[in-house]
Amino acid sequence: MQREVGSLPLAPALRARLAAAGFQTAQELLETGPCGLSKELGISKEEALEALQVVRQECHGDTARTARGSGATRKFTALELLEEEQAQGFIITFCSALDNMLGGGVQLTKITEICGAPGVGKTQLCMQLAVDVQIPECFGGVAGEAVFIDTEGSFMVDRVVDIAAACVQHCQLIAEAQREEDHLKALETFSVESILSHIYYFRCRDYVELLAQVYLLPEFLSEHSKVRLVVIDGIAFPFRHDFEDLSLRTRLLNGLAQQLIITANDHKSAVVLTNQMTTRIGQSQSTLVPALGESWGHAATVRLIFHWDNSQRLATLYKSPSQKEATIPYDITPRGFRDVQPPAVAPSADGTERNPRKRPRREEEKQ
Amino acid sequence: MAAKKLRRAQLSQELCERLNRYQITTCQDFLCLSLLELMKVTGQNYYEVQKLLCKVSRACAPKMQTAYEMKLRKSANPSSSFLSTTLRSLDRVLYGGVPCGSLTEITSPPGCGKTQFCIMLSVLATLPVSMGGLDGAVIYIDTESAFSAERLIEIAGNKFPAYFDSDEKLFFMTRNVHLYRELTCCSVLNRIMSLEEEIISKNVKLIIIDSVASVVRKEFDTKLQGNLAERSNFLTRGASVLKYLAEEFSIPVILTNQITTSLSNGPVIQTDLVSPADDLSLSE
Repeated sequence: MQREVGSLPLAPALRARLAAAGFQTAQELLETGPCGLSKELGISKEEALEALQVVRQECHGDTARTARGSGATRKFTALELLEEEQAQGFIITFCSALDNMLGGGVQLTKITEICGAPGVGKTQLCMQLAVDVQIPECFGGVAGEAVFIDTEGSFMVDRVVDIAAACVQHCQLIAEAQREEDHLKALETFSVESILSHIYYFRCRDYVELLAQVYLLPEFLSEHSKVRLVVIDGIAFPFRHDFEDLSLRTRLLNGLAQQLIITANDHKSAVVLTNQMTTRIGQSQSTLVPALGESWGHAATVRLIFHWDNSQRLATLYKSPSQKEATIPYDITPRGFRDVQPPAVAPSADGTERNPRKRPRREEEKQ
Repeated sequence: MAAKKLRRAQLSQELCERLNRYQITTCQDFLCLSLLELMKVTGQNYYEVQKLLCKVSRACAPKMQTAYEMKLRKSANPSSSFLSTTLRSLDRVLYGGVPCGSLTEITSPPGCGKTQFCIMLSVLATLPVSMGGLDGAVIYIDTESAFSAERLIEIAGNKFPAYFDSDEKLFFMTRNVHLYRELTCCSVLNRIMSLEEEIISKNVKLIIIDSVASVVRKEFDTKLQGNLAERSNFLTRGASVLKYLAEEFSIPVILTNQITTSLSNGPVIQTDLVSPADDLSLSE
């Protein structure tokens, strides 16, 4: 109630008039009433009423916020947070080494960033997660839907069909082995068609469309309350060209990051971003570092870097608040994102486990 | 979408005029401002500005589709999603052929046959659908002056002797291959930007750029200051326009690239550090 007039979200011209007329706190405004206000400030009665309604909304919002639990400030004890975090699910990736490294899988309400060179498997993991988020709860999933925002055009529906079919098959095997009622019931609605119809796909061609889509995301998520995963495949691509003004780029990226953090928290969903790598040329050597600069590194809570080591794909946990840094190998198979199969296990029917689309990298090919 | 004028975003006339005074005319200008700046510029309170943001965002946000709708659309028209290369093992590995609607990059050391492959694909694209072609025109952007029309006719005559049995058919095919010789990065980019109208007017079904690497390596010496940034700027701009064209018209786009050396243990010269050249920007 003692809130200063300058901090209220009114139109700037109105605020200037209030300051000139000598109003200092919100309480004074509310006491004056619309007619008095319009006489003192020289504005119409409707405008005065509108201003008072805004002020009332703000003040009520302030006091009601802690009770409602949403808004600018929230208070929790660490015990409440612990209980909440333990009850929360993870989105598994079907690669147990990666899930273990992440502490269970991709965490909800956090932003996870995946960086890597082209062709290493970032989009594959995103497509895998968009399918895995829909696994029913009785099989250990979060039973959510997915929003896929694509800026590079690398989303291939046929690949998602393959991944979804493998996931459904996996769940069917579990159901057959355990023969529980709810497993069979869940399987009735868990099919490739239902998986595909719950992946909401947006194709953003430039950074303006991306900004617009992220502004509209809260509304979309309120309408589709079952969404538990938002994937932005290629956050770097629209920002890497046509930007002479680097400070504008930093500001837009920071705004984007804040929007995404708010969205992740309010709707209890995981946000996964993919980033490109760029070359940093130092004094004596050049290294590959994630693109978009140092300040972008603060945006993500968890950072994974995917890279090659001869012909093996590796994932490194580069930044995480709760897990140890580690590097694990993974594979992209025709069924999706998987662990590396040890060679002693029976060879698969189609000869190699490798995805036929990708050429294996070898030293001699580079020369 | 970004350059959409605010007038068409259904903002009120007087608001548009007011924004015009601050030189904010397109959705892009509007969305790049922070909330405080927007409040100052529109003269409205915080909640109103948020509603305006949503309105403008709705005007330029992309349309939503579910993955299921995309799958249905693709399976409704399966033959138009690949251009078969007529090399059976290559087609098998590519799951059908060169995919429509995305960029494909062909890379090799000199002399392996990239240009020959492109010329053959040009012939294939002009064939009718019943013979595995796309029944349309081809745009061939040549930066190395390596295209030979005689070779085109030779390939056509020898590969499909039954179809190209008369001179008339051969000349009809060659009339459908539009060749553009561009020798600088700037002209290549201008040509790519102007392709949209040509695709519609000439019923183009295949775009070939041979090769991207030669113009880029001629003009951008990465040892010089600032050239690396400018080079990737040019490449990503070209790539995003080409991706848009490929997706919008559902046609294949083929780019050729060259091979460079990646020095891992030697002294660091500022060569392209990830082979093939330009790989980092182009094939995303």
